[in-house]
Amino acid sequence: MNSDARGWRMALVPDGLMNPPDRAGAALPDVLGVLEASGYGVLHLPPPGEHSLLLAVIADQVAEYSHHGYAVVAIGMRGQPSDGLHWRRLAPLLRHRGVALPPRHLIRPDLDAALEGQRLAGFLAGYDLPLEEQRRWRV
Amino acid sequence: MEQNAPRKVALVANCLLNQNAKVCQGAHYKGLVSPVVEALRSRGYLLHQLPCPELAFAGVRRWWAVYEQYDTPAYRAHCRRLAQAIAPLIEQHLRRGDEVILIGLDGSPSTGVRFTSSRPDWGGRPNRPEDDWEIVPRRGVWIEELEAELARRGLPPLPATGWALDMGRFDEAGSRRDLEQFLDSREIAAGAPGGNSAAP
Repeated sequence: MNSDARGWRMALVPDGLMNPPDRAGAALPDVLGVLEASGYGVLHLPPPGEHSLLLAVIADQVAEYSHHGYAVVAIGMRGQPSDGLHWRRLAPLLRHRGVALPPRHLIRPDLDAALEGQRLAGFLAGYDLPLEEQRRWRV
Repeated sequence: MEQNAPRKVALVANCLLNQNAKVCQGAHYKGLVSPVVEALRSRGYLLHQLPCPELAFAGVRRWWAVYEQYDTPAYRAHCRRLAQAIAPLIEQHLRRGDEVILIGLDGSPSTGVRFTSSRPDWGGRPNRPEDDWEIVPRRGVWIEELEAELARRGLPPLPATGWALDMGRFDEAGSRRDLEQFLDSREIAAGAPGGNSAAP
């Protein structure tokens, strides 16, 4: 094995942005493309529905990352229940695990997709853990 | 596309969408494994990320391990819990007639599909010489438990392949060819009389 290429950053992504509905008029930025170009990994959230067990599993993973020097953000989609992030269920699960809620960025499907993509890229580029935290873990 | 038309769905190993899940020195990309994502999306697949069983069980700072070290009752119980968490989504797709495939991680002790890593004498102090495990043709522990859970629900086996990231020496071009051949063979089968639906 060679040296490790991980980017130490990842985003919670709603299903509606991972797998955008094929609807005329719904222009969304290519969120996966922007994440890839920004060096982020994905934590995929399920489509709307109950998914209690799956959300608990995802919360466990976010907690593990957050406690060990990884930066986690959430990308929501305006117009979806809870912005597609299952926030009403996920937020208490994260708090229960001692995790601060990740910073959120909202995609607006009613705005120009290219500009929304740029706005997302700017948000992703601008976020990381404080240097002191990075130095502590990222060796 | 019609609202109720059958869709193509790919269940994707967690670390193929998030390389931060890999063991230390195991990440070949910053985040997404873009050749996998491109190959699937360009063929119209919806993506569903599977949970990472190793991360949730042994943590992000875990040691490397082989199949035999994860082949324990506690780890299998953990994998079954994860399988029960994701199975309802898979079942929903299969019952509505969607084509569902599985893309694992060949060579992985957990997520291997065609191959896993084996070394029955690994254990104790982690001072093994580099890469002295063997690659054997077998599912990883997580995939075995996921398939068992789907079978318990009366669902058919999923067509599956693995991205060969954990085979010791990673060959991206070869892996890409392999994956594309698998996906294209699905297209050909789907076009044949009778199709290839995995619907129960």
